[in-house]
Amino acid sequence: MEIIIVDNGGQYVHRIWRSLREIGVKGKIVSNTIPPEKAITSDVIGIILSGGPDIKKSGYSEDYLEYCIEHNLPILGICLGHQIIGRYFGAEVGKGSKGEYGSTLIKILEKKYLFEGFPDKISAWASHMDEVKDVPKEFLLTATSDVCLVEGMRHKRLPIFGIQFHPEVSHTPDGKKILRNFYEICRFKLFL
Amino acid sequence: MNVRVIVDEIIKFIKEEVGSNLAISALSGGVDSTTATVLARKALGEKVIPVFVDTGLLPYGEIGHIKKLSRDLNIPVKIINASNEFFRALKGVTDPELKRKIIGETFIRVFERIAEDHGAKCLIQGTIAPDWIESKGGIKSHHNVGGLPKEIKLKIVEPLKNFYKDEVREIARYIGIPEYVINKKPIPGPALAVRILGEVTPEKIEIVRKATKIVEEEMMKTGLDFWQAFAVLLPIRTVGVRGDIRAYEWTIAVRIVNSTDGMTANFSKVPWEVLERISSRITSEVPHIGRVLYDITNKPPATIEFE
Repeated sequence: MEIIIVDNGGQYVHRIWRSLREIGVKGKIVSNTIPPEKAITSDVIGIILSGGPDIKKSGYSEDYLEYCIEHNLPILGICLGHQIIGRYFGAEVGKGSKGEYGSTLIKILEKKYLFEGFPDKISAWASHMDEVKDVPKEFLLTATSDVCLVEGMRHKRLPIFGIQFHPEVSHTPDGKKILRNFYEICRFKLFL
Repeated sequence: MNVRVIVDEIIKFIKEEVGSNLAISALSGGVDSTTATVLARKALGEKVIPVFVDTGLLPYGEIGHIKKLSRDLNIPVKIINASNEFFRALKGVTDPELKRKIIGETFIRVFERIAEDHGAKCLIQGTIAPDWIESKGGIKSHHNVGGLPKEIKLKIVEPLKNFYKDEVREIARYIGIPEYVINKKPIPGPALAVRILGEVTPEKIEIVRKATKIVEEEMMKTGLDFWQAFAVLLPIRTVGVRGDIRAYEWTIAVRIVNSTDGMTANFSKVPWEVLERISSRITSEVPHIGRVLYDITNKPPATIEFE
């Protein structure tokens, strides 16, 4: 059983791998230049789209998303990965009114799935200029902050999740819990 | 993390990579390179020659530290003084990336010479994950990765490249490396050269050395937990007054951060009294410094070091 981390060139790609290792989950980093049908084996239980510097350099990320939709495979987008999901489902992605770097206070709106067992607010680390501007039609807003509206969202029917902040860095104390929750969604097919 | 299994895997990896060759091991005395060196010695015994390069860019006490470490670990270390070579290469250089690349290249040329003298074919480095992540992402060229020249006569072996510093510390503890090495604060490969914004000269290095010693001493006295605490010389002169006389002197920025793995960091909320002591000591003990600033930026958006 493994989770594929699609590498969009972000600083924390390997840190996702490490966080998965810490919770006892095997991760495999795959460059976004490799198409999903070449990377996804029967061992793969979920996909994480990583962050990265530029949505134009997101390679096959959307193909991974389509693959997941088609096969009902859970997918989690982080930062740029979250924006890729937002854009695919018709949201506007663009520069926020201000950038969000370092510590930020996240309000959890839905304490289920990724945020199962979470308090009302968590402190998290973010590092982004662009953001998802509106919640796509088929999605629910699951987390928000004063700086950025869509800090978290999920598809209403499918196991598709996006978060703008970084659960994989040590400065997001509850981050590992998010990854563990994602792993449980993957492993026990909790969704639906 | 199952340390025992990981240590076995790393030793196996080093044996496979180096094979029957001789290797030199780049040893700075920090926890990463010491761990890599000790593991390499476990794997290959005396076929590994640890080399410490004195770049002339180091803080106070590093050579004493390496000698003590060599005695305590019972590992002979070749100490090479290459400071003239480094200062010559850095003359007139102000661009941070160029600085890092020149330092990376100078290191390699020194290692190549020593390797040739000993007939060694491999270079063992204590590269860890953030080094190559930041180099690859174009954030900054770490001297041991993105700062390397294109043509290298040595095969580079990096047994710790998938680990972070907190994990390396766990491995180090397991293989019996002394606590004073494990808890040693990280010093970047280019050392004080990236803590002088602008051209690097021996005089400026001396200023940063003095200021850094004060920052460290005062922080150690507090018993507070921190990842790094150091001084940076800014190329800014400001007006002051000393004993009724106008002064026009340089500026030191103090950087103290907390972090677990260096990938994200927050500036330390050090008590005012400590900052005050640091400031008054720097302005009275370090020549040419008239102003001290405290850096209150996290990583991101800043990095821990200034360059």
